[in-house]
Amino acid sequence: MSGRLFYNRSSGVKPLSRRSFLLQAGLVTGAIFFNGCIRKIGGGKPAYAHIKGKLSGPNAKAGHALRDKLPMPIPSSQQSVKTLIIGSGISGLSAARWLQKQGETDFKLLELEDHTGGNAFFGTNSVSSYPLGAHYIPIVNNYDKPLVDFLQENGVITHFDEKGQPYYNEFYLCFDPEERLLINGHWQEGIVPDFGVTDNDRKQVIRFFNLITQLKNARGNDSKYVFDIPLDNSSADDTYRKLDRISFHDYLQQNGFNSPYLLWYLNYCCKDDYGTPALNVSAWAGLHYFSARKGTAANADPNAVITWPEGNGWLMKRLRETVKDHVQTSHLAYDIQLDKNGKVAVKVLDLKQNTSAIFHADKVIMASPQFVNQKLLKNIARPGFDASMLHYSPWLIANLTVNEIPTAAKGMVLCWDNVAYNTASVGYVNANQQDTKLVEAKKVITYYLPLCDKEPRLARLAAYTRTYEQWLDIVISEMEQMHPGITEHIEQADMWLWGHGMIAPSVNYIWGSNRQQAKQAINNQIFFAHTDLSGISIFEEAFHQGIRAAQQVIEHNNGAA
Amino acid sequence: MDMNKKLPVLLLVSVFIIATCGLIYELIAGTLASYLLGDSVTQFSTIIGVYLFSMGLGSWISKYFDKNLLGWFIRIEILVGLVGGTSSSILFLVFESVSSFRIILYGLISITGILVGLEIPLLMRILKDRFEFKDLVSKVFTFDYIGALIASLVFPLLLIPYLGIVRTAYLFGMLNVLVALITCINFKHEIKGAKYLQSASIISLVALLTGFIYANTITNFSESLTYSDTIIFSKSTPYQRIIITKKGRDLRLFLNGNLQFSSVDEYRYHEALIHPVLQALPDAKNVLVMGGGDGLAVREILKYPQIQTVTLVDLDKEMTKLFRTNEMLLKLNNRSFLSPKVTVINADAFSWAREQRKVYDAIIIDFPDPSNYSVGKLYTNTFYAIVKHLLKPDGIMVVQSTSPYIAPKSYYTVEKTLQSVGLHTVPYHNYVPSFGEWGYIMAMSKPVYKVPDHYLPGLRFMSKQCLEQMLYFPKDMARVPAQVNKLNNQILVKYFEDEWSTVL
Repeated sequence: MSGRLFYNRSSGVKPLSRRSFLLQAGLVTGAIFFNGCIRKIGGGKPAYAHIKGKLSGPNAKAGHALRDKLPMPIPSSQQSVKTLIIGSGISGLSAARWLQKQGETDFKLLELEDHTGGNAFFGTNSVSSYPLGAHYIPIVNNYDKPLVDFLQENGVITHFDEKGQPYYNEFYLCFDPEERLLINGHWQEGIVPDFGVTDNDRKQVIRFFNLITQLKNARGNDSKYVFDIPLDNSSADDTYRKLDRISFHDYLQQNGFNSPYLLWYLNYCCKDDYGTPALNVSAWAGLHYFSARKGTAANADPNAVITWPEGNGWLMKRLRETVKDHVQTSHLAYDIQLDKNGKVAVKVLDLKQNTSAIFHADKVIMASPQFVNQKLLKNIARPGFDASMLHYSPWLIANLTVNEIPTAAKGMVLCWDNVAYNTASVGYVNANQQDTKLVEAKKVITYYLPLCDKEPRLARLAAYTRTYEQWLDIVISEMEQMHPGITEHIEQADMWLWGHGMIAPSVNYIWGSNRQQAKQAINNQIFFAHTDLSGISIFEEAFHQGIRAAQQVIEHNNGAA
Repeated sequence: MDMNKKLPVLLLVSVFIIATCGLIYELIAGTLASYLLGDSVTQFSTIIGVYLFSMGLGSWISKYFDKNLLGWFIRIEILVGLVGGTSSSILFLVFESVSSFRIILYGLISITGILVGLEIPLLMRILKDRFEFKDLVSKVFTFDYIGALIASLVFPLLLIPYLGIVRTAYLFGMLNVLVALITCINFKHEIKGAKYLQSASIISLVALLTGFIYANTITNFSESLTYSDTIIFSKSTPYQRIIITKKGRDLRLFLNGNLQFSSVDEYRYHEALIHPVLQALPDAKNVLVMGGGDGLAVREILKYPQIQTVTLVDLDKEMTKLFRTNEMLLKLNNRSFLSPKVTVINADAFSWAREQRKVYDAIIIDFPDPSNYSVGKLYTNTFYAIVKHLLKPDGIMVVQSTSPYIAPKSYYTVEKTLQSVGLHTVPYHNYVPSFGEWGYIMAMSKPVYKVPDHYLPGLRFMSKQCLEQMLYFPKDMARVPAQVNKLNNQILVKYFEDEWSTVL
């Protein structure tokens, strides 16, 4: 009987027909443009004329040069390199670090942006550093040796107690108070709704978390954990893997979870970690979010998180430290071919000099997302792989420098993570949480808005159409809802738009064949490392993606020798 | 009404207002002086004396005014209004920083007295041709004394409770100027430069009205309703709201509404905080104090002649400045911040301590109670581990640790947290009437603390027997199981809130 519950049913993101997409795109962009005109005609000084800041994002110019196949300068130089890594997000940096750890010296890492970091990139102003994307990691699985080693190398884990439990650096463990939720006019501690909810809601919450406790320790018939990190280590047992073939939303319905508060919370979690609601997330991914982390610590709770003002930018800098001499930023790889000499020829545009070069590499690690790889590898077949089936959630990140956070609602004081019930965003994070200072005159708070109200392509198009002022309208109206009167206290608002923020673990992506094909190396010369090959965009996956690709390179090198 | 009939009535009304205002200014000065300087009998006597003498002086000076009497009368009215109206604001504002507060106080009183003293003689001379002399004297003095009666009744019964002392002053300042303005308008033909005087009074009126409206920012009057004693000083610094209240000889300091000390019994707290540590360290030379921006702990430390340096780290510059400049507060802390042995550092204790390498014989930790997550950080194992590095191997530190009677869980959490970084602890407590039963915890690297046999002469509280009692914890304050307070759990803040909310 229960098997039928998991009958393959497509839900969530439905690919739109071209015609319908164009129609909707026209309507959406037209509406935004019209809104912009109204703003201009309306004139008058908006209430936030005093707010400084700008809208930025990944180097769209370079990205579009790739997409629109603009003419490139004729390559004027050639160089050889044993291993070439493309992309300096966590996956790329982790791959580089691993190569170096294994004694490789002849490798280069190319990055099209003028900085490294990918989603772990961060900003800094006179008040604080602040994240522009990923901003924390939970304490890690104790058996995840490569990651534990990395954290120990960098003083995140300081030592182990007599029972072998790791001690985490207390300046990095998220300071208390950690989370609060504005619900029913009150700031409650914690994000799971509790204030003013009914007993039935509470019972369902308890039932859900009991289920999670079970799943955390559950092992499949191959005695592997059902949910693990990296997720490719998870059990192959189909009793659980088939959960990837239905949406998390449907799974919850089928299992009698209908409390609006619980569903809001789970939806919030999906938006927070995957940038898209439960409807568009596979049940396997939805449960993985809660069940895959089994880490314990000598000096923190099992669900503790570690964070820094610059978010995962801190980890990114540590990854980069030892390989920084191999990194070349502002270098856009725009064409990759397998050449006659058994090498990989990579055409690279130096964005600063506007010159092109050809890199002849023995091996290439593509630590770039698949929608980029599609353009680079246009002449190379990747059989069985369909890049158009991968969905990336767009995000808007707003870093607000505030001199005060007025509070109308009673209850919990400012926490690290501050969320309001039933809002479009997933709340804001206090970038200065890890500051030991008693009082800060100003703070930077990082507001996270997943743009998931429309199909990703439409949402992305709409997002690119909006002006800075239009984003302010959106961000500030929500901030005002949480903190009436905050507008006058916002001194600066810097917007960062991620068109392709993170891979969405859509139904049937993680354990479907497309992902397996996407990971396949090409001709034992081109290897892939990116979280979109995991299906979930988290630091740990990126870290292991990098190691996996680097390890493949090393094994093939050794095999060749 | 005919001009000649109108004048006397108007001027007699002026007499009434002038008399009321004059007495009000005198009462304001007396009240403020007894608030700010204490000892109300002396303050009221000297203020009344100086004020009456100045009035006499004014009356004497009046004979030097010969021409344009009405014009001078108006000028003086405006001046009285301005000086009297702003007097209480000026006194409040200078109180914090000026050591010669008395000079300003008596100076203002003298000026007001002289100006008020000038008014009546001038008025009588203006009116002398319009009344018979006996009528004139009778009328002027009747209005004068009735005004005085009204003032003396409304001041304590209506004005202080409903308006506050600063707004009262502005209100009467405005009345004075209003008299000037009305006189000016009605007799513009008899006065030289009437236009100029008219605009001067209007400007003064606006200035006083502004003061009246913004008086709340000078002394937050609404705030004074929440304190039972009189607020004699209040200031919002970037870090906290400092309030000093006074009632009789009891001076109290509040930070963000929490009582820090009462001058009546603070010696019990500060002797208990300092002497069990320093009496046990006869060779101590360098002492670090964290918190304690009132200088009272430093006062106790400086009683030991062998102490060579005292380093005090307090976040709030305004706080240490106040206790370094204000005469009344200097008396309380025995000018401790002015000692050449003392270095005051205004810095965030956590960040500051992380960067230090120097070690100290004794460390006194006198932070506010852990009533919020910010201060709570200064009670964590992480912080104590840092402080431990600043303590000599045989040194002793002490932590003020809230009440073991009201908040035993909080108290023993502090102890447990100190122990968690490898320190040995010696908890003790005493009774401080304004706080209740209060707790302290000594901590040291070596498990040895020898109860000192002798104490400095002249202490009012500490003795050998006293400490022996303080080390004993009755059953209702016995040790309870506790956890370590950490940056990532801040359990102390939660305990503290729970335990104190049941009594407050």
